[in-house]
Amino acid sequence: MSSLDPSGEQGRSLWQDAIARLGQNRLAMLGLYLLAFMVIIALLTPWIAPYSYETQQLDLGAIAPNARHWFGTDTFGRDLLTRIMYGGRVSLAVGFIATAVALVIGVLWGAVAGYIGGRTDAVMMRIVDILYALPFMIFIILLMVVFGRSILLLFLAIGCVEWLTMARIVRGQVLALKQQEFIEAAVVIGLSHWQIIYRHIIPNILGPIIVYITLTIPSVMLLEAFLSFLGLGIQPPQSSWGLLISYGVETMEEYPWLLLFPGLVLSITLFALNFLGDGLRDALDPKASKD
Amino acid sequence: MLTSLRCVFIITLLSLLTAACGPMDNNVDTGTAGQILHLGNGSEPPSLDPHLSTAVNSSNIISTLLEGLVTPNPKTLEPEAGAAISWDISADLRTYTFHLNPDGHWSNGEPVEASDFVYAWHRLLMPELAAEYSYQLFVLENAEAFYKGDITDFNQVGVKAIDRLTLQVRLKAPTPYFLSLLSHASTFPVHPETVAAYGDIDDPGNLWTRAGNFVGNGPFILTEWALNRIVRVEKNSHYWDADTVALEEIRFYPIDNLGTEERMFRSKTLHLTVGVPEEKIARYAKDKPELINISPYLGTYFYRFNVNKAPFDDSRVRRALSMSIDRQQIVDAVTKGGQIPTYNLTPANTLGYTAKAAIPFDIPAARQLMAEAGYPQGKGFPVVELLYNTSEGHRKIAIAIQQMWKLALGVEIRLFNQDWKAFLETEKNGDFAIARGGWIGDYVDPNTFLDMFVSNGGNNRTGWSNQKYDQLIQQAGRTAGTDQRFEQFQQAEKILIDDSPIIPIYTYTAIYLKSTDVKGWYNNVLNAHPIKYVYLQRDD
Repeated sequence: MSSLDPSGEQGRSLWQDAIARLGQNRLAMLGLYLLAFMVIIALLTPWIAPYSYETQQLDLGAIAPNARHWFGTDTFGRDLLTRIMYGGRVSLAVGFIATAVALVIGVLWGAVAGYIGGRTDAVMMRIVDILYALPFMIFIILLMVVFGRSILLLFLAIGCVEWLTMARIVRGQVLALKQQEFIEAAVVIGLSHWQIIYRHIIPNILGPIIVYITLTIPSVMLLEAFLSFLGLGIQPPQSSWGLLISYGVETMEEYPWLLLFPGLVLSITLFALNFLGDGLRDALDPKASKD
Repeated sequence: MLTSLRCVFIITLLSLLTAACGPMDNNVDTGTAGQILHLGNGSEPPSLDPHLSTAVNSSNIISTLLEGLVTPNPKTLEPEAGAAISWDISADLRTYTFHLNPDGHWSNGEPVEASDFVYAWHRLLMPELAAEYSYQLFVLENAEAFYKGDITDFNQVGVKAIDRLTLQVRLKAPTPYFLSLLSHASTFPVHPETVAAYGDIDDPGNLWTRAGNFVGNGPFILTEWALNRIVRVEKNSHYWDADTVALEEIRFYPIDNLGTEERMFRSKTLHLTVGVPEEKIARYAKDKPELINISPYLGTYFYRFNVNKAPFDDSRVRRALSMSIDRQQIVDAVTKGGQIPTYNLTPANTLGYTAKAAIPFDIPAARQLMAEAGYPQGKGFPVVELLYNTSEGHRKIAIAIQQMWKLALGVEIRLFNQDWKAFLETEKNGDFAIARGGWIGDYVDPNTFLDMFVSNGGNNRTGWSNQKYDQLIQQAGRTAGTDQRFEQFQQAEKILIDDSPIIPIYTYTAIYLKSTDVKGWYNNVLNAHPIKYVYLQRDD
């Protein structure tokens, strides 16, 4: 017996395992492809958009989908497909960037608070409570008023508000994990605190984090639409999916396609996100049995 | 136990359902039965103080709570008896003697006296109150001097209480539209003790206009003012003509989204709306013509420039922007409500006056002007903001114009919207580059449009000032002959249009939805509907 491993198999890391599991999940892969498609379209929009997103044809007005305008035109005679493509750039960017901001702040804050515990935890979580108590619209409006109206700030402002729930979820998970034997073992073998947080705690709480991310992305997309409508986000002639939908709702009875297509695109994206999120959660769960 | 609970639950649910399905369960039907008028009122009213309000949605409410010396006839707008039962005009047309109605009472039962008018007009003219409408009374002898602080004794101003019920007004010149001024909210009386009870007379933040505090002499009293929700007024039993008043109650809802308002109208929540979403106008006109009203309206939709800030301190730039808007296309494709494109300020045929001055629609010439001003093809032109108050209609017009400017002149304009109160504040502080404006005539005379832009006029708001213009408007105020007066207005309007501190866009039409239950409601160019003649009755 020269080897303990008779089959001669290479050891597989947790990540390789996860990717393999994800690859077997058809729905998750579909979600991934759809999202990748949306992102690629959004990135290529300036080169592949069929029309200009701002050039108006007032004489044309709103016309139903046809061979020249696949998704029809809006009341200014602007091609809806083009506007959805450009809107996607804003919505996807807001969705991903604002969520990433929320993710980074929330996970770090929650993990540190939960891991250190004691007085630090109490202080950190009271800060979260205080920020929770602020009506968040007022908070965002305040940020926008102080720092001016730019898209980048919009991302940050939304992210700065959305991290609170993330921090709470993460802290709760960390508190539970901290008691478990493998963490004690890690402490015993002399890993530093950062290594423990990074290598043991965060991988174990990825599940709830990912589920929460898939919920945050759509909500920040809608928040952006709301802020833009109030004059705090992006301004015409630029648009986003949320704004296209909110304008579409108003003319729903006369020009249903103005609501239908942006709504459809947003729904597909959200479905894709949810499928992918579910798949990732299953794939990344370290407790899932190795087979 | 469980089953009996469930039974109770089901019964409650059923009774709720049947109640909800009853024929009477909507505002319009119950309102018509109980003479309660439900109406949309645009944005939240910024103020209910007659001396401080400039917004149409405020004056809609104020004119139910207070009554001026005269009230307009609902059909012809001829002045009729209001707080004054009759009046004499001197031979030189400069002295008016008003005889107040001895039955006139405030809503707390106290009589309306001539001194109340003197008090109110004094308040309007106080420089400390800084009322934007104070210039309405500059037709009075010495009123302007008092407002400017040149005289401090109000007794020298041309308004006197001769006795308890006689008010004498001395004008600085014969003013043909003086009587119609008196049905405008800014000249309404206020109850002196009430104003004094809730703050200083010249304090713009005086709380006397709150529900419960308000004392008025109009057909209704203010019973509720819930911010962004409702303003409710109920019939005033102390009103001298209470027998004529048919309505028991009026509820004003602030709804600044026309789409929402239209849905509320359709679900019979409102008797009346302030507007109609433009994409629905054609359908109503075709399918339900009895519900939609489209009639001429004495008002101009325009944009103001801030002439104190570059680049709009240069009249060539202002003219160029004004010259490159295709107004015909805006009314045809964007507003769609039969509005008339306008190239000057005063609506055509205002009391027979039609301005000859007009800004041309001429893109090549506009480009030439921009080049002369140092912005060939828009190069070097700063990014400026176009400010409008939050509303679908304004947004659409702004988007269309933004694109027209970009195509014609190569300039980038950013759009920015604020809610109505914040918008008025920003505009008043001069914190804008271009701002949306609209002006509805306060009376039928070119003066109501043109005197807005005299130097430092409260509603000027552009910072524009032209001495020759001021002189012409003043002269016109002193001129009795109509032809001569109109000639002075023509000259003044030419100066205004040539220098372009504003961009006139279109002449309004009054477009709104009205339930067939609303009676006693007549069309006129001021879209004024004296509420005491309005009643609700179902057609069967």
